[in-house]
Amino acid sequence: MGSTLYKKKAPLIIFLAPAFAFLLVFLYYPFIQNVINSVSQITGLGRPAEGLQSPWYANYAQLLADPKLHTALQNTLILIVCTVVFEVGIALVLALLVDSIEKGAQVFRTLYFFPIVISATALGLMFNLIFLYKGGMVNQLLLNLGLIQQAIDWKDSAHFLFTMFSPVMWQYVGFYFVILVTGLNNIPGDLYEAAALDGCDGLRRVRYISLPLLRNVLCTCLVLAITGALKVFDLPWVMFGAGMPQDQGWLTGTYMYDQTFNRGNVDYGSAIAMLIVVLGVILSNLANRVFRPREDIEF
Amino acid sequence: MKKGRFLSLTLACALCASMLAGCGGGGQASSPSAGSAGSADNAASAPAKVELTVVTSYGGDDGNRKNYEAAVKAYEKATGNTVADASATSNEEWKAKVLTDFETGTEPDVLFFFTNADAEPFIQEGKVVDLDTIRAAYPDYASNMKDSMMATAADGKHYAVPSAGFWENMFVNTKVLEDCGVKVPGPDYTWEQFLTDCEAIKAKGYTPIACSLFEVPHYWFEFTLLNNGTLTTQMDVPTVDADGKLVMDQTAEKWINGLNDIKDLYERGFFPANTLTATDAETVQLFAEDEAAFLIDGSWKCGYFSDNYADKLGDYAVAYVPAKGERKATEAIGGISMGYFITQKAWNDPAKQAAAVEFVQHMTSDEVLSTFVTTEVTALKNGASPSGLNSLQQTAADTNANITGVVGAVQDTITSEAKTDLFANVQNVVTGQMTAEEAVASAAALN
Repeated sequence: MGSTLYKKKAPLIIFLAPAFAFLLVFLYYPFIQNVINSVSQITGLGRPAEGLQSPWYANYAQLLADPKLHTALQNTLILIVCTVVFEVGIALVLALLVDSIEKGAQVFRTLYFFPIVISATALGLMFNLIFLYKGGMVNQLLLNLGLIQQAIDWKDSAHFLFTMFSPVMWQYVGFYFVILVTGLNNIPGDLYEAAALDGCDGLRRVRYISLPLLRNVLCTCLVLAITGALKVFDLPWVMFGAGMPQDQGWLTGTYMYDQTFNRGNVDYGSAIAMLIVVLGVILSNLANRVFRPREDIEF
Repeated sequence: MKKGRFLSLTLACALCASMLAGCGGGGQASSPSAGSAGSADNAASAPAKVELTVVTSYGGDDGNRKNYEAAVKAYEKATGNTVADASATSNEEWKAKVLTDFETGTEPDVLFFFTNADAEPFIQEGKVVDLDTIRAAYPDYASNMKDSMMATAADGKHYAVPSAGFWENMFVNTKVLEDCGVKVPGPDYTWEQFLTDCEAIKAKGYTPIACSLFEVPHYWFEFTLLNNGTLTTQMDVPTVDADGKLVMDQTAEKWINGLNDIKDLYERGFFPANTLTATDAETVQLFAEDEAAFLIDGSWKCGYFSDNYADKLGDYAVAYVPAKGERKATEAIGGISMGYFITQKAWNDPAKQAAAVEFVQHMTSDEVLSTFVTTEVTALKNGASPSGLNSLQQTAADTNANITGVVGAVQDTITSEAKTDLFANVQNVVTGQMTAEEAVASAAALN
């Protein structure tokens, strides 16, 4: 039965066709339309194009000269670095710690994964309250402990990166934690037992057994983290809106949204979207090359 | 084997069907089945119960939200129709979303929206129905309104049935003023006196002005413009020449001076410490909880304070915005800027036409409109009959009695793109990252 099914291609095509049609309509067609939009003159969302830009690459030339976009790119790159260092880094530490305990590991798994299931909008509102200038949790705590004399504006130029990125880190640490813990669980126990007999335990066990055998999972996490950071939009948008503070808080995603939906600058928004796609392809390829999984790792 | 193939086909068909399921709903609404000629017949044969999609600015924190909900419930009870309400708080993002809905064909059946330049995009595209067309089929439509007070679109036609008007003026926290030894501003309040008062208030540890320059700089912008011009020139808008450079005439200078006045207030430290990152809600809270003295806002804030700070209404009053130059403190911003539109989509739908007309007539009836009004002007022929005023509303009524001149908000006459750009740049002007001239030139180029 099984072999007959694979010999005859018709059922496979029938099953694949809807998914392909879905991709065609909701991914490839919008993408091609976006390329066309980026070189067209469009003055409002949903309005028809009024011909091509003059010159056709005007929006792309504007990308090079736009200081707000440069800010957005800079912030996005900082976010990528923070994601790799803190999101995956903290997740790795937590995974190693949880893997080394015998009781309660499942509780920690659930606790750390929990933020993932909360909507970004709800999280944004919650962190807005936490970082509120007047009466916010952080300011109240610091004031009551006598660590500061005056409330801190956590969204001002000096603090906005921390305020914007820490909730994003907090939300996704659990995601990478679960992947890494699963990877650690797949390492056979007899390897650890053999190592213990040779006197290898504690940090040396992590250094010489866990980390090398976790390499491929870690690489996957890093690629996911880098490409994921490029798409971050909802949480920063809820917390910071349009470029707060003073056009210093843009990310590529929030800037594209503002240009397209708030300012009706659809063609320029499309050009920014193209830049995000190109950046995503380059960075994910780069990450795949740098963090290429090794095929010689076998348990 | 045959069974397996049948199962495969069935599953594939189910997948395809589920993909296409969402594509059907709009067909009926978008089919132009009835024009104005057949409207009366349609009205007579319209089904009794329909669902109307309605978008208004009576969002969750609007002072009239409760009145709106009560009015909608009364309509639903009286007609058996249901209202799918998608109201939200009015801001630039909301306006952009409403306009986008029209562009993408997902507009509501009835829209409560601004009647100024903001509405021109969908008016010019013929997406809403003019009053003459509606009255041809429903002669009593908006017959309780003064036509002379209805907003006229660029094509000379009336489209919206006006709701309650608005005024903008200065709310003061009398408790803070008293503690600082500052008098409640009177009709002769000057800019110099205001600066002196603000210094005294700041010295006492209070925030003189509750305002989020990040979110709502437009209240101060309107009045600083008025202070640098006159009622008659308030609606003038700067222009750019053929090369895209700002034309430096009196209007441009007025706008530049207005922005520089806000910058001066910022540099003196009269705004909240986090004015560039705070939301409007945060700064209003400062005022409401006796931490700030002055707040320029609109008539709708009376309802907000009445709902949320009922036990503190005696600590608030509506006074006058300080005057400078030719302007008198008794001149304010106000008018009727919003109204109910019926979309072509609803009008062309035989099932919804009568229901939409009935809904607008209900919402703009003398009885319903009176529940929305306290101290605002209306276009009602018989006038509104608001119930008793509370102490804050009474101070507003007393101030309004002394008003010598009212003009609309100039921001309502510029394009959404220009407005978004101008108000986003206010924070850059006050911090010196951009000059006022650059901000005005940028906005004028987008208008």
